[in-house]
Amino acid sequence: MRLPLAIGALAACCLIVAACGGSSSSSSSSSGGGGGSVKGAKVIDPNSMNNPPKGTVKFCQGQDTTGIGKDLIKSFNAKFGSQGYKATLTQFPASADQQRTQFIQRQQAKSDDCDVFSSDVIWTAEFSSQKWLYDMTPYIDKARSKYIAAPLETVHYSGKYWGVPETSDAGFLFYRTDKVKSAPTTWQQVYQQAGQQGGIVYQGAPYEGLTCNYLELAFAAGGTVLSPDGKKSTINSPQNVKALQLMVDGIKSGDAPKSVTTYQEPQTDQAFTSGRYGFMRNWTYAYAADNTGASKVKGKYQVAPLPSFEGGGKAGILGGHNSVISVYTKNPGLALKLADFYASDAFQKKALLKYSQAAIIPSVYSDPDVKKAIPYAPQLLQALSQAKARPVSPVYPQISQAIYKNVNDALAGRASPQDALKKANSQITSALATF
Amino acid sequence: MEAASVRTAGTPTQARRSKGIPERRLAWLMVSPSLILIAIVAAYPILYAIWLSLHEYSVRVAGLSRWASPAGLGNYKKALSDPAWWSALEHTLIFTVASVTLEFGLGLGMALAMHAAFRGQGALRTVVLVPWAVLTVVTAIMWQTMFVSPYGFVNTVLGTQTVWLGSEPQALIVIILADVWKTTPFMALLILAGLQVIPGEVYEAAEVDGASTWQRFSRITLPLLMPAILVALIFRTLDALRIFDLPFVLTQGQNGTSTLSTISQETFATNRIYGLGSAMAVLTFIVVMIVSFSYIRFVGGNIRGLAED
Repeated sequence: MRLPLAIGALAACCLIVAACGGSSSSSSSSSGGGGGSVKGAKVIDPNSMNNPPKGTVKFCQGQDTTGIGKDLIKSFNAKFGSQGYKATLTQFPASADQQRTQFIQRQQAKSDDCDVFSSDVIWTAEFSSQKWLYDMTPYIDKARSKYIAAPLETVHYSGKYWGVPETSDAGFLFYRTDKVKSAPTTWQQVYQQAGQQGGIVYQGAPYEGLTCNYLELAFAAGGTVLSPDGKKSTINSPQNVKALQLMVDGIKSGDAPKSVTTYQEPQTDQAFTSGRYGFMRNWTYAYAADNTGASKVKGKYQVAPLPSFEGGGKAGILGGHNSVISVYTKNPGLALKLADFYASDAFQKKALLKYSQAAIIPSVYSDPDVKKAIPYAPQLLQALSQAKARPVSPVYPQISQAIYKNVNDALAGRASPQDALKKANSQITSALATF
Repeated sequence: MEAASVRTAGTPTQARRSKGIPERRLAWLMVSPSLILIAIVAAYPILYAIWLSLHEYSVRVAGLSRWASPAGLGNYKKALSDPAWWSALEHTLIFTVASVTLEFGLGLGMALAMHAAFRGQGALRTVVLVPWAVLTVVTAIMWQTMFVSPYGFVNTVLGTQTVWLGSEPQALIVIILADVWKTTPFMALLILAGLQVIPGEVYEAAEVDGASTWQRFSRITLPLLMPAILVALIFRTLDALRIFDLPFVLTQGQNGTSTLSTISQETFATNRIYGLGSAMAVLTFIVVMIVSFSYIRFVGGNIRGLAED
């Protein structure tokens, strides 16, 4: 009877397909400069958007959970449809990793499926060094002062600008107004007061969110991740150790529950809305989200920009998205027209008012309508202005892993802060040496 | 094919066929569409993955690639000298042995219960299958909610404040339990199918001969069930060896829960180090091959023996 053998072989076949089926081509014919510099990229002509050939521009973004993508397309078509221009929307999965994979696959196939892609701020270096993006420097240079400076840095790599900011985001310190009168001004005070007021919750699980949560303190303490030229790891510095030590001590003394080492955003909200904790670090979305449903803290909290670090300064980590234009677009002028429309005053105001997407133009925050509808508008502008971009590097995913895995080990008590950062340092160093 | 060659020469069919295409070639011709299909969907990706695993692809310069020195095996050397790969292997093997053992024990019990004739049998079979029907990612999120600390369902019931998903080995235990909850019905179903083909007369004869319940189970049910059990075990083992979704959602592959698949995915998809990621995938394949051939070698013989008895 041969059946078992046949089944074994069949099963093994299925497995290898599953194991290796994800393989996608990584080769493309062009090759260019080495190191961290991008040479010979296609450059956008800023005037091309004024009168581009008639046609359709395809906009790709992650799942349109809020409806802003559809609104963008509708508004663009309402304004320019009569001139023969049309925009369409392609939705990728909700997960950021999936969006990145989807875009990469299309670029590797030199497809023009996405004329404009809504790119997460951390992908700029990777996409531009693969020469998938138009160099947008001439367009940005025409109106550089229009943008909040910090978000603009997220499209800045190798001396050039590779996209137009769409929206930004930064972490807030949420504090319970029924427990503390005003927001503490330093991280040290936050932890001190948290010990008396139920504790602070944040995102300490080993994932991208922890990289942000940690770097917010590390940058405030004066630390850095990479040397200015991006070629060396600077993670193992006294400032970074000090920041990590504060977080580790916070867990040891119970100022933050040990459980934060498993928290992403949803668990953080769950904990904060249970009413047990005095403080929370989270993104702006939580301002509205934690005030609904079964929340026990409705109307009992306020937000503040992240505090400063004793002996250092203020910082924050930028989230958000940028419009990038694919080099495989057949109509770069029209693509730029759409990116320009997204960043326009009118649409930025709408995005903030209707979809709570932080605008990248400062003037929007002083708009009377915005001030009325968004009570935290001044804090948001402050938070964005003091925040910094995450390290811009083509090997950013590995750098971030080195940070969040080792920081998580330290928080969970599996390694001392010194050993954790030493290990992160050697991992980042070898990541930078990736071929 | 055996049946065809056994057919004696000189029969009318044979004579008629020999005028046209020879039988052997006809056989090849008839299986060729399937072979081509298999080549496209199975062989090509496998060979392509092996090809990728022998090269390095630059993550910083578009289109730059080179042979992974030494001798194209650089990626394998890197993977095998990485302690992270070995701990992933260890977690994968622990997960596989623990989950398959538990699933087999529970699945056998469930199958026997479902096989017994009683009112509501159909309803029970349906209910038992529900965990299997739930998407794995949904299962993972469900278990994550139950085990969230410090005030999740499990900690509340146990009166503890354990950080289940953030500690070793608790995190791996939660993943094993979640897998057992989800996949035991599958095991039960395969075994139930085996139970249903055992003819009732055998039991009747045994009863007449005065065999006890235990004797009937150990001397009739188990031996006759063996082929079904082995098929179920092989499927579950090979499936368990490439566990990905549960650790990916529950722990991001941290806290002692990295597996061969999570680190391959991280290297290949997240870090886009295609060569090393492919080498890890090929190594996973080799591990799976070794395990499946040992199964066939050590227990497959028993089946053959049984079938010939």
